[in-house]
Amino acid sequence: MNEVETPADLLDARLRLEELVDRAGLGELCKSFHTLFGIPVRVYSSEGLLLADAVGEHEVCAYVNTTTEGRRACGATVSAVKAHDPGPTKDLVHPCFTGAAYRILVIEYDGRPIGRLILGPYLPSSLKEPPKSLLVDRAIQFDQARTLLLRMPRAKTETISRIALHLKGALDLILFSGHKTLLTSQMHLASVRESFRELQEKNAKLQQAYDKLKELDRLKSNFLATVSHELRTPLTSIIGYSEMLAEGIAGELTTEQKEFVGTIYEKGEQLLQLIMGLLDLSKLESGTMSMRRKELAIGSVLSEVMSTLAPTARKKGVMLDLDMADDLHDLRGDPERLCQVFLNLTENAIKFTPSEGTVTLQARMVQDTGGQEDDDGFALLAPTQMELEVRVIDTGIGIPSRERSRVFDAFYQVDSSSTREYGGTGLGLAIVKRLVEAHGGNIGIEGNEPEGSVFVVRFPIGSSPEVAQRTPGL
Amino acid sequence: MQINFGAREVTIKLVYYGPALSGKTTNLKALHQMSTDASRGRLMTLETRDDRTLFFDMLPLVFRAEEPQSHKDGRVSPASGMSLRVKIFTVPGQVLHSATRRLVLQGADGVAFIADSQLSETQHNAASFLDLRQNLTELGIKTKELPIVIQFNKRDLPNVRPEADILALASRGREPVFTASAVSGMGVLESFFGLFHLTWTKLDAEHNLGRMIGITSDGLLPMIAKQLGLQVDIPSLLAACVGGSLDRHSKGAK
Repeated sequence: MNEVETPADLLDARLRLEELVDRAGLGELCKSFHTLFGIPVRVYSSEGLLLADAVGEHEVCAYVNTTTEGRRACGATVSAVKAHDPGPTKDLVHPCFTGAAYRILVIEYDGRPIGRLILGPYLPSSLKEPPKSLLVDRAIQFDQARTLLLRMPRAKTETISRIALHLKGALDLILFSGHKTLLTSQMHLASVRESFRELQEKNAKLQQAYDKLKELDRLKSNFLATVSHELRTPLTSIIGYSEMLAEGIAGELTTEQKEFVGTIYEKGEQLLQLIMGLLDLSKLESGTMSMRRKELAIGSVLSEVMSTLAPTARKKGVMLDLDMADDLHDLRGDPERLCQVFLNLTENAIKFTPSEGTVTLQARMVQDTGGQEDDDGFALLAPTQMELEVRVIDTGIGIPSRERSRVFDAFYQVDSSSTREYGGTGLGLAIVKRLVEAHGGNIGIEGNEPEGSVFVVRFPIGSSPEVAQRTPGL
Repeated sequence: MQINFGAREVTIKLVYYGPALSGKTTNLKALHQMSTDASRGRLMTLETRDDRTLFFDMLPLVFRAEEPQSHKDGRVSPASGMSLRVKIFTVPGQVLHSATRRLVLQGADGVAFIADSQLSETQHNAASFLDLRQNLTELGIKTKELPIVIQFNKRDLPNVRPEADILALASRGREPVFTASAVSGMGVLESFFGLFHLTWTKLDAEHNLGRMIGITSDGLLPMIAKQLGLQVDIPSLLAACVGGSLDRHSKGAK
């Protein structure tokens, strides 16, 4: 059968008897008929190939076959029976020289001949005496041959017809079942192939859409970077000149004028922060942020954060604490960017912590928890994979657990009303997350019981070379 | 359609299409039950346990042009010995078997669209017809060029579209429309012979099939009915059609 067969062919394929039936099963069917009626059965394909038979040699045949001429005549008869095509009548009787007879029938399926069924030899019931043609060889004794011949099962033509009809009926059922199974399985395959083709088409379309989106995303980042840069340039002048005005370089200002200029300066600074944030974010997203890479002690970074934010904390009445373990490893990274990370986190913590509260920066070494217990050689490798963990712990308003994964999205605010109260661009944490990731680290949020939140930042410290690979921005 | 000169066979494929549970298989079963003669093969149904069609049903019919044909001019052409094989398929109606429907539809010469007359099924009928059109398009077949008859089945149920509505719709539509109640056999033969007539007229115009098989178009349908053992009057069967035209394709071809 052809691999690329179309279902149209499949549904009206030219069927072959040998493809539809199980030969062993067909053989059993023939044997059962032979046992039941004592008449030999042979089934041939339309090409004349013997598919199954149940044949017991009759005594007279065995006797005739002991003689030379008898053997020749028998062979000739069998060949003639095999080759005889019943033609359009589909059913005929072929006589044997012994007086016995063969019945040849066409097996049809789906309106087409697909094989032949041969019953016999059997003794026609009308036969009283063997014909003279039986004596093909001088060695054949007529009386003995007669006795043996008359032992052959007798059958009326109608009986043979009924047997043949029954056998054909049984065979037709088998063929139908075979055909049904064949069609079912072929249809199944064709359906699967068709569904697969459909899926492939859809996949290709999805891939195209995905590529297009990726390209759009890249364009967006480029646009953002360009626009931010272009916005920053005039803003620098606005801030610079308003600062000069405020300082009275262009002449003394009235109190009201000073207040106005102060507002211009302050809002300009705010806008600049926002633009810088956008610029950082787009650089981080496009992977074009340039960062230094040097060995540094996290202690110095955290101390700088402490001293920068101490006045803010004091003003708000929040206690600021630093808690560092003694065994801290050095980290490879950009000190300014890391300072930006912890400044932002600590500033946030102070912002959301009411007075009398505490903000604690904690640094310690922990074992790499990223690995899974079923990783190869976990017990051996885990101790060598250490992480530097910095926790920024506050006793503020806290972040509900369902919001924790979203606060790192750009412009996301947990509560829009708190935006007014606390201010902020909504970019800080998005930038923090990307900066941490650019250092190969990760950031998460835990709750601080009974209230407040803990921002947990981990950086891999390791001998393993993959650490370097995991830091795309460096 | 397939023509096999070596085997002296012409095979025509008819497909019964329609929404799930509209009675496609019931139509085939009724056709199978009503025909008695040997030219009808076994009805093959590949169905799931809940009696829904999984892949398709198939009813093969084989006719032989064995009788000599006398022509109007007195000429008598001898029997051609050609056999005409008609294979009728149903598609699985459930939406999820879309791929199978397309496969079964491939190479169809004519389609009987079996619609469910119940008013609640109006949407499903329309959706299934759009699905048919979509599948035909994907197979590169123009719906306008394919012989299609529409059968409004299940006339015996309550809450069906009124007869007058169907007549009004049919008179405005292009396709011949039949009404049926396949469970009782009503309208089944009408739809089948209507579709066969429409399909044959088109194929004959395109491929000169009648001459090849050696049978006139007028003689074909009675011959088929006779070989199926049906005692029917073909003209009155075809007259059951409302709307559309059963001669559309022969006109179109000229």
